[in-house]
Amino acid sequence: MSTILTYIAISDGKIKRSSLEVLSHCKELADKDGHSVEAVIIDKDASSFVDGVKKYGASKIYVVEDPIFKNHMNTPLLKALANVMGATSPSVFAFASTESTKDVLGALAANQQAAVLSDVSSFELTDGGIKAKRPVMAAKILADAEAKGEKILVSVRSGSYDLVENEANSEVVSVDFSLNDGELRTTLKEIISVSGDTIDLNEAASIVAAGRGVKDEEGQKLITELADVLKAGIGASRALTESGMYDPSLQIGQTGKVVSPQLYIAIGISGAIQHVAGMANSKVIVAINKDPDAPIFEIADYGIVGDLYKVLPPFIDELKKIKA
Amino acid sequence: MKFYVGIKMVPDVNAPLQIKDGQLIQDADRMILNAYDASAVEEALVLKEKHGGEVEVVSIGSPKASETIRKALAMGADKATHIQTTGNEAYDSATYARILAAFFKDKEYDVLSFGKQSQDTDAGLTGGMVAEMLGLPFATNAVGLQAEDGKLLVKRQGDSGQEMIELPTPCAVTCSNDMNEPRIPNLKGIMASKRKPMEQVELSSLGLSEDELTPKTSVTGYEEKPGREPGKKFEGEPDEIAREVAQLLDTEANVI
Repeated sequence: MSTILTYIAISDGKIKRSSLEVLSHCKELADKDGHSVEAVIIDKDASSFVDGVKKYGASKIYVVEDPIFKNHMNTPLLKALANVMGATSPSVFAFASTESTKDVLGALAANQQAAVLSDVSSFELTDGGIKAKRPVMAAKILADAEAKGEKILVSVRSGSYDLVENEANSEVVSVDFSLNDGELRTTLKEIISVSGDTIDLNEAASIVAAGRGVKDEEGQKLITELADVLKAGIGASRALTESGMYDPSLQIGQTGKVVSPQLYIAIGISGAIQHVAGMANSKVIVAINKDPDAPIFEIADYGIVGDLYKVLPPFIDELKKIKA
Repeated sequence: MKFYVGIKMVPDVNAPLQIKDGQLIQDADRMILNAYDASAVEEALVLKEKHGGEVEVVSIGSPKASETIRKALAMGADKATHIQTTGNEAYDSATYARILAAFFKDKEYDVLSFGKQSQDTDAGLTGGMVAEMLGLPFATNAVGLQAEDGKLLVKRQGDSGQEMIELPTPCAVTCSNDMNEPRIPNLKGIMASKRKPMEQVELSSLGLSEDELTPKTSVTGYEEKPGREPGKKFEGEPDEIAREVAQLLDTEANVI
């Protein structure tokens, strides 16, 4: 019997749903083959999240609590992850593929001499390792990948697995942590945060995404209005984050966030492959574009050919009626 | 500042590709400089123009990769090192990182810079691995760089905002393509690139063992992504089709 460890990411005082998706999947894998599944929480208030993790069936929950984890910094996070790996010797350590994970995964693999597969859309255990599917070539193709070794790290795209509650009587283990000044080396000078009230795109059930067709404040207002009606997160194509109309953290695509909501409404987005790579796994895709030949229509479940400035007002109005 | 920028020749993801017997078949002529690496080169050049220093590019690859290296030299990099491989190897991120770490081990530099991922595999691991192997402080997913009193100021895109991080040198950084528009080499740059030094380094000269060159991960095959069923396209009076689709999202797709 071996151990599958899952990293529980905390962001803005909440457990990232994507890490519970990964935990749900690991629990299923562990039960099937008689392994144990454990979880680790690293945060300034780590122990306050224990109850939220117990629901998903971890037999042990490691808690690393220190004020330094208030904001993401790679040096302390790496040290904490390495400590936990040392204490638990997991055969597989699974992460949700967040920006924070991406920041440390390669370095942790090098530090632990572990085999690593990043950003997979699914994985299974094999004899002596894991096999996984990884979207490659701007997510046009799936690669069948294998990792072998005594320690394996894997990060999983958000939305790849469903949440499955499975309450367990988890043992909670506190792991010591300390870092002296000399070890830190890097200085976090400032955080330019935009999050506030905005909905996390990786967690959103619905996303309204704006592209080049959204030209002005009037267009932005329509986007916001539609998002409000649907309680949706707002995303944008690279063109609009580069122009400064939307914040860079809202960019969806190969370079930005990879999302898979229940409903994705692409507005004035042509559908360049780099954008599609970030949203093609959405359950239902709606596209609104005035160019009938826009590639986005090839992947849209519902395509509306028309000027977004004319289409959105009645669209919003009708949705309001449905919601009422 | 002395910059080393790690660059990679990759297939153009926009080029047509097909899968035959689980293998990826691509036009061998459609190889390009990884877009994220191009941004790393551009940013190093901008900092050199501002503060002085030197930009050297390093690439691991087959003899053909020299074309990609020339492109970076034509953009303005001062010199290059080409670590030669046959091109038939199946290295993973960790193998590339071990080769790079072995190369950088006894070099002098202020900043090692990389693209944050390569656009064909999107693994995004090598930069962090090299940093850890060399014991360097590092930052990933940079969207802006500044040099200040021998320190590197990195603006990186995090999960919910941008973080300003100060790194002492030597350090490592991985770059997003959101930080700049890489310059297109002009004729003068292209001519000059032909006279710039490109050192060839034999992989065997780096002293790596067979074990260190053996990857722990492998790709066993490729498959088409299950395609989406073509959906319904609505054309006509905006008011009518907009309301019709809104209704269908509720009654048919069940997502409202």
